[in-house]
Amino acid sequence: MYDSMLDSIYSFARGPMLWAAVLILCAGTVYRIYELYLLTSRKKKRLLPASAAKVSLSPEEQTLDRLARFQQSAFAVHPVMFIVSILFHICLFAAPLLALGHSLEIYRSWGITPPSLPEPLIDGMTVIVLLCGIFFLMRRLVLPRVQAISTLADYVLLACVMAPFLTGFFAYHHIFDYKTVITLHLLAGNILLIVLPFSKIGHMVYFFFVRLFIGSEFGPARGSREWKP
Amino acid sequence: MNTAVIQDMLQQHKKRMKLNLAACAGCSLCAESCFLFELHDHDPRYMPSFKVLNSLGKLYRTHGRSTQEQLQGMAEIVWRTCVLCGRCYCPFGIDIPNMIALARDILRAQGIAGVYPHSIGEPDDAQGE
Repeated sequence: MYDSMLDSIYSFARGPMLWAAVLILCAGTVYRIYELYLLTSRKKKRLLPASAAKVSLSPEEQTLDRLARFQQSAFAVHPVMFIVSILFHICLFAAPLLALGHSLEIYRSWGITPPSLPEPLIDGMTVIVLLCGIFFLMRRLVLPRVQAISTLADYVLLACVMAPFLTGFFAYHHIFDYKTVITLHLLAGNILLIVLPFSKIGHMVYFFFVRLFIGSEFGPARGSREWKP
Repeated sequence: MNTAVIQDMLQQHKKRMKLNLAACAGCSLCAESCFLFELHDHDPRYMPSFKVLNSLGKLYRTHGRSTQEQLQGMAEIVWRTCVLCGRCYCPFGIDIPNMIALARDILRAQGIAGVYPHSIGEPDDAQGE
């Protein structure tokens, strides 16, 4: 009874639910980008030429300027958070996209073999993601500044992100019943793909635009669009 | 108190403000960009994200249906714990000063305006000490 139920959930999660999740992810991401685009307008003409903002600094001033910029950077203010965040995000993307198991699944379905990394390396990345997840959870629970702005949704989202990695780790090491764990892994992965564009994890979409926007506002390459007032 | 006016003002800026509120990952990295946060021994109430989530964020969450006491509480946040210097920085690019300014506009439209403690010779009691 349990086995047949598990089989049907597994087939559903591997088939129609996966397709639906990927479609929702793509459509949601496109919608988010479109929504962002609607909030912009043509940039107004500059009152001063761009050259007016340029200031020539002596070599000593340039050194001081670089030092001041470094002191204000996220790396100097929050070195641990900075390193953990970078490691977390690299492994968060690399582990699922370059996992051998995922490549084999794509090969079985479509006959193409995407690139993959050795299994022990992916296993290590998964452990890094899980450890970073514990770091973020502890930060939310312990630090008063993060506690003050945390809601139940933040913990649920963290669980949504961690679940595919935890179940993937259990499945790879054959901890607990493999069939149950791999079914949970599929379900957790699909749920994450669906939730992605419609939640705070949507910063995955905004990130690139924000970098471009901030760069266009303050960097040498001026943008051609700006936010509506 | 006129809820319809609040709702109308919220509606005018809904798309952009909702996007800003949804994009806040609660990382708290904006904290150090506020000099008042630094001045008040890292009191979380002075964090830019805390101020936004507990003023404009609350107005959007409750669809503008806030009580007079709640609006007074928001006034404390947006006037006493923020001087709107515009120097707060969000790594996700959220325009925090714009959101505080909108919260102030909404409160002003309800006849609630901030009184700066220093301007009338009162001690700054925003720390609650």
